[in-house]
Amino acid sequence: MSEWLATFRRGLSIENPLTILMIGLCATLAVSTKFEGAFFMGLAVIFVLTMSSVIVSSLRKLIPEKVRIPVFIVVIASFVTIVDLSMHAFIPGVYNFLGVWIPLIVVNCIILGRAEAFAYHNPVRLAIADGLGMGIGFSMVIMLLATIREFVGSGEIVFLGQKLVALPSAYQGPGIMLLFPGAFILFGFMIAGARWVTWRREGRVVETSQHCTIEEGAS
Amino acid sequence: MMGETLRNLALLFIGAALVNNILLTRFIGLCPFFGVSGAMETSVGMAGAVVFVMTLASSATWVFWNALLSPLGVGDFLYIPAFILVIAALVQFVEMYLRKAIPTLYRAMGIYLPLITTNCAVLATATEAVKPGFFKMNIAYSFGFFEMLVYTVGVAVGFGFALITFAALRERLEVAPVPGILKGSPMAFVTAGLLSLGYVGLSGMFGL
Repeated sequence: MSEWLATFRRGLSIENPLTILMIGLCATLAVSTKFEGAFFMGLAVIFVLTMSSVIVSSLRKLIPEKVRIPVFIVVIASFVTIVDLSMHAFIPGVYNFLGVWIPLIVVNCIILGRAEAFAYHNPVRLAIADGLGMGIGFSMVIMLLATIREFVGSGEIVFLGQKLVALPSAYQGPGIMLLFPGAFILFGFMIAGARWVTWRREGRVVETSQHCTIEEGAS
Repeated sequence: MMGETLRNLALLFIGAALVNNILLTRFIGLCPFFGVSGAMETSVGMAGAVVFVMTLASSATWVFWNALLSPLGVGDFLYIPAFILVIAALVQFVEMYLRKAIPTLYRAMGIYLPLITTNCAVLATATEAVKPGFFKMNIAYSFGFFEMLVYTVGVAVGFGFALITFAALRERLEVAPVPGILKGSPMAFVTAGLLSLGYVGLSGMFGL
């Protein structure tokens, strides 16, 4: 059980996919203008990551090494299609906001990267821990980023049409927080902060070497 | 009539390459942007490979969509797995062909090819080429083949241009006095933010 918890916790802290490994950045920066978009993006990633980890891990003895990447992609694409159609049916407002980013979960490096680096070599039990940990780690960071950007940029946080927090209407936020440059700059400082925290606590920082790469001749 | 068409195509190209730059104003394909921009040489190789693969991939998926998926009425729920498989297979074949037929070209950009398969920029552009309205561009009709080609090349050139600019900036950043905790990727993000601020200035140009 302690092994399970250790695997789960790695995704949240010392191997956080966004701040430490720096994979899956595109979606993070793009959808973090709104809290609700980030929230549902996080849920979608947790679902797809955990389910595809389970499938890949339970089939790991059957999938031949040579064709593993196409198999992973098909498994992931099926779960993304489930998410795509369900979101379209139940929360159309969020679906329109997320737009292209839902189909693009297929090529989100976190999911393929975890299938390749973890689920393919480990039992189902641990693959679930890894999927949940990585997914929740991703969601935490993206929600934090979105909360700061939406609150500072527009002075209120809206969730499914309800105002959760609102500043007086006289507040005029710096519009740059809602634009592209704000996301880059804020995220740069968030990485620096996360590095500082892990460095203080663990005495080391995992080097960021995983960049959406598949080893040569793999695919 | 001819002039009008040419003007529209030119606007489409500029809109795709600069005004709606795929990297800096839409955040698509950021992984190679931060991953390979450490050195000038690799980013030039990557930019060339992206122009090449993106054009091929969008052409293939455009034909696939118009000839098969759309007439059969299965496009809306099958396009994600279908496109990604078409792109993966295509990249694989191109890699094998280049290795045998044009070894010099293969040596120049072969190592980037597998990387591109899982690059979201290629999938996004391929999807966009058949569903332009889907991505909030101000174009609410489907592209013809030639328009699709102009659009795709525009996106790919914009990608390459931003990547090479950023690589040049990062080479300079190596020798800049940056505070310890911000060294490396945090500073790269801040620099990218400033670079993208320049692109924000272009938004609204030509009504795009």
